[in-house]
Amino acid sequence: MDELEQLYQTTYTAVVRFLYRKVWDAERAEDLAQEVFVRALTHRPEKPRAWVFAVAANLARDEARAAVRRRRHLTLLKGDPVALPTIQPAADTLVEHDERMAAVQDALSTLTHRDREILLLWDAGLSYPEIAAQTGLAVGAVGTTLARARRRLVEAHDRQHAPQGDHAAHS
Amino acid sequence: MRHIPEEELHAYLDQALSRSQCVEIESHLAACPSCQAARDGIAALRDRTTALLARLAPPRNFPPSFDLLRSRAAVSADQRRRRVHRGAWAASLVAAVGLGWTANYLTSARLTTPTRIVHPVAVAANEPTPPTPATLTSHPVPVSSHRTRPANHPVARQVENPAQDSGSHRTAVPVVPAPVLQLSSIDIPRTDFEMELDGMWRTMSWDGAQAAAGDQLPHIDGLPVVQVQVQASEQGKVPLMVVAQQLASGQVIRTIEGPMNDVSHLLAKRTMTDPDPLAPGAKTNSKPADSAADDHTDRTMAMQRGDRMLVITGALPSDSLLAMIRRLNAEMRSK
Repeated sequence: MDELEQLYQTTYTAVVRFLYRKVWDAERAEDLAQEVFVRALTHRPEKPRAWVFAVAANLARDEARAAVRRRRHLTLLKGDPVALPTIQPAADTLVEHDERMAAVQDALSTLTHRDREILLLWDAGLSYPEIAAQTGLAVGAVGTTLARARRRLVEAHDRQHAPQGDHAAHS
Repeated sequence: MRHIPEEELHAYLDQALSRSQCVEIESHLAACPSCQAARDGIAALRDRTTALLARLAPPRNFPPSFDLLRSRAAVSADQRRRRVHRGAWAASLVAAVGLGWTANYLTSARLTTPTRIVHPVAVAANEPTPPTPATLTSHPVPVSSHRTRPANHPVARQVENPAQDSGSHRTAVPVVPAPVLQLSSIDIPRTDFEMELDGMWRTMSWDGAQAAAGDQLPHIDGLPVVQVQVQASEQGKVPLMVVAQQLASGQVIRTIEGPMNDVSHLLAKRTMTDPDPLAPGAKTNSKPADSAADDHTDRTMAMQRGDRMLVITGALPSDSLLAMIRRLNAEMRSK
């Protein structure tokens, strides 16, 4: 099996998840993840795993910019609740799940861009050296950043939302 | 005794340290209850973070086959080649239009009367094809015959006598393709969308479209459907659809529904390339302050629905379109 194909089998889900946490749209995250692998097939990078996440991060950033352009371009119906960009959960998802998810989303948004990026890269399965290479951070600083990001995420979450659910899960 | 710094414990638990560093830390931990407590605290924090982040997962995930991506990679390489080709074509078009304007400007600069404002509909009636720069220079018209014409010469006058007036148009009418202001069931510009998307559009029957899109087929209840166009899409996804429907007045309303990016791409393309009323240029050009003309200007109303977009475009007042799109959106959500 092709090296890229192997990578695809093992990391596709992680790439989708990584993108989803940036664009907050499951279908779009999948589209972008596929685009990442299509590009990898064209470019054949030397270190495909790190490359794939670097390109995913870039695509997510472009996506955010494009969203701003679109808003400028079209007569979106301002002030109309249904017209606002929404993080629409699947219709069959439980409301409770949505709330719990929104709570983490809120907490994540309080982190600095760098802390968030490094936390998400770690969670996507990248090693310290891979994270360092992608973010330009020294390998030694990845632990420091992760320590801070983890603490802040949990603090922000617990500050805004009573943490009963999670305590139950971890006690 | 030096205690282990917090970030080192994170790195230790993340298995990001060398073997020798691990040995060092483990021997310290064995003898230091306070570092043990710190490690346990960090391990819990780490687990908690992972559990929180696990909630931020997309609801479903169907990886397509890798072969599909391989073929897409081949297609995208091909498209890149074609983009280069198209870029060259666009550049030559821009140059040609620029030349047309320049030639036109030079020609009209020689005239002294400000009488050349002509209703675009009148031009459309007389000349389906806009004059080219070559025609401009090859049809000299005696300047004196126009000098006496009053500045607010009525449009109707020019329509009355096309033989005489088409010549005058050539001398000074701005080289602007006449907007197609009123659509009818016959002249629905079938190729309007098809051309822009490299033949990836197909026209479907209403039944076929309903089978493909189910409840999500965008349309206004109660209006006859004159055309349904569908953009080719990836498997398993509801494609971008354009449904054209006709009002009793003969005007056509288009309802567009599809993935956010594709729809906005389509609208952006129409705005840039079409000589249609969506184009800002078409609105400002030589339209008399005649109120009736406003009623024939297409307006576009867009609404984002999650990652998809719903658009209604037609020659109706904004508030009518707004009411329609709101109702349509509510209907589609309830299905």
